[in-house]
Amino acid sequence: MKNRTLRSGLTVFISLACVFALTPIALTKETKQEWQVLNPEGVVKIEPMNVNPHPPTLEGKTVMLRWNGKHNGDKFLEKVGELLIEKVKDIKIIKSWEVAPETVDPITGSQERSREFAKAIVKFKPDLVIGAQSD
Amino acid sequence: MDQLNLEKMGIPTVTISSSEFIGLAKDTAIGQGAADLSFVIVPHPMGMIPLEEIRKKADLVFPEVLRMAIEWKPAAKLPPMKPVYPAGRLKWKGTVEDINRIFFEKGLSLGLPILPPTPERVAKVLKGTSRRPDELLGMVPPRMGALTVELVAIHAAMAGCKPEYMPVLIAALEALLDPRANWRGLTTTTATSSILVIVNGPVIYEIGLASRQGAAGSGHHANASIGFAINLIADIVGGSRPPTPDKSLLGGPGDFVCWVFGENQLALPQGWEPYHVDRGFKKTESVVTIMGVYPPVDNIDHWSMTPEEHINWWANLVTPLLSIGGPCWISQMEQPHIVALGPEHAQLIAGAGWSKDQFRRAFWEKARIPFSAWPKGCPNTDLLVKKLGPVNPDIPIPITLTPEEFQVVIAGGAGKHSHFFAPFPGCFPVSKPVKK
Repeated sequence: MKNRTLRSGLTVFISLACVFALTPIALTKETKQEWQVLNPEGVVKIEPMNVNPHPPTLEGKTVMLRWNGKHNGDKFLEKVGELLIEKVKDIKIIKSWEVAPETVDPITGSQERSREFAKAIVKFKPDLVIGAQSD
Repeated sequence: MDQLNLEKMGIPTVTISSSEFIGLAKDTAIGQGAADLSFVIVPHPMGMIPLEEIRKKADLVFPEVLRMAIEWKPAAKLPPMKPVYPAGRLKWKGTVEDINRIFFEKGLSLGLPILPPTPERVAKVLKGTSRRPDELLGMVPPRMGALTVELVAIHAAMAGCKPEYMPVLIAALEALLDPRANWRGLTTTTATSSILVIVNGPVIYEIGLASRQGAAGSGHHANASIGFAINLIADIVGGSRPPTPDKSLLGGPGDFVCWVFGENQLALPQGWEPYHVDRGFKKTESVVTIMGVYPPVDNIDHWSMTPEEHINWWANLVTPLLSIGGPCWISQMEQPHIVALGPEHAQLIAGAGWSKDQFRRAFWEKARIPFSAWPKGCPNTDLLVKKLGPVNPDIPIPITLTPEEFQVVIAGGAGKHSHFFAPFPGCFPVSKPVKK
């Protein structure tokens, strides 16, 4: 009788100990839930701009080579200019860094400055501008 | 990109870009409304290679240059615009960890944990401002994401901002959206640039923004969460993620959390006005000033006993060549530079009876290097001559054209350090009042 009581008591004790030990683990286990969240991306709002048609030929046209000041951009464009003169009849090549050195700046920095550079280039009435950008 | 302005003025263009930067070039074009533009891709790099090699690259791509010049026609169109408000809703099932993983995988977070922006959380943050949630603050470059007050609150919630931080956060964003801030340049450059946010006025104390010891560092909830929210907006709404269009070569912690600190107005020397008063605001106003900057130089002068000795330290640390680890673009000579004086350095200077103006002038006159030290191949030296007049090898070149370009702020706490922030090219400080 005593042994039975002891065994029962031990069983209850062990069961209770297991419940107390496992409950924290059960409580800390993160449960999956349904989430509804607001999209942080936002929509794009851009006013479209027109881009210009290219001339069907460069023969007899004026092409401005525009260097922004990054290293070797001028050397690259000089070679392009040489090849254009070789391959295209009556083409006129203008180099921006020679005729408008104020437009040579690797980091334009602002839209206003960029517009000033563009105005300085447009004065030469090019039919096409080839710009070397980076890097 | 200057070719876009040429197109707007009626000139067709062909843009040569190296292969590593074509993504940025295309994103820039789209961001300014050109769904398609004529590009020719050259194998990277173009810079810092011998003459023979760059000419070979020109030979290689010339047929494409010629083809683009005469045959190119635009093919793509911009997608139709959607309403900017209210923000869309996303639904997922998972744990907070799952939501963080999903957000990161979809490019909706930066890699640090965020709080999921539930409608309830965002509504709570919105209570911190009287601004309408549908108010459009502007378009965040380079992606030109429309930033409404609601969207600010979404990111503020993600960053863990308290509602009372919203007015400071909105003022910082209004300043960044100002063209003078050059936010586009700042977020797409190869440079290690970041955003500097300086707060002045009563709001510092109202929201518990740190302005003293370690103000720009860890342990300050307002500073950190506002700085985190700004960069979340830059990367997610503005789309400025590495490797394109964010071309940061190395990047840095400033890409996660901006520099945010209050000026230590309690440590202002007698007779020195707070920074926002220098910038034209009343002392009683709360103001946020932002600027795009390079990592600062730390002046660790522990020894000077006079302002003159202290100025010598500055002159050896920052010059036109040393302030950003290379020759300044000439345009930076017309941009303000921030001198964040530690309180003890400020007391040394003011204690000798110097005003801020005297300090600026002494700094400007001393922090120079001779023209002969300018590296060969540095661009725009003829522009330097235009700005300064005829230069000979011995003429000392200043950092800025005038001493007024040094803007003085009192920053940090006890100790003997000050910091010099050179501006990213094209970035000017922009100040906006804090509106509740």
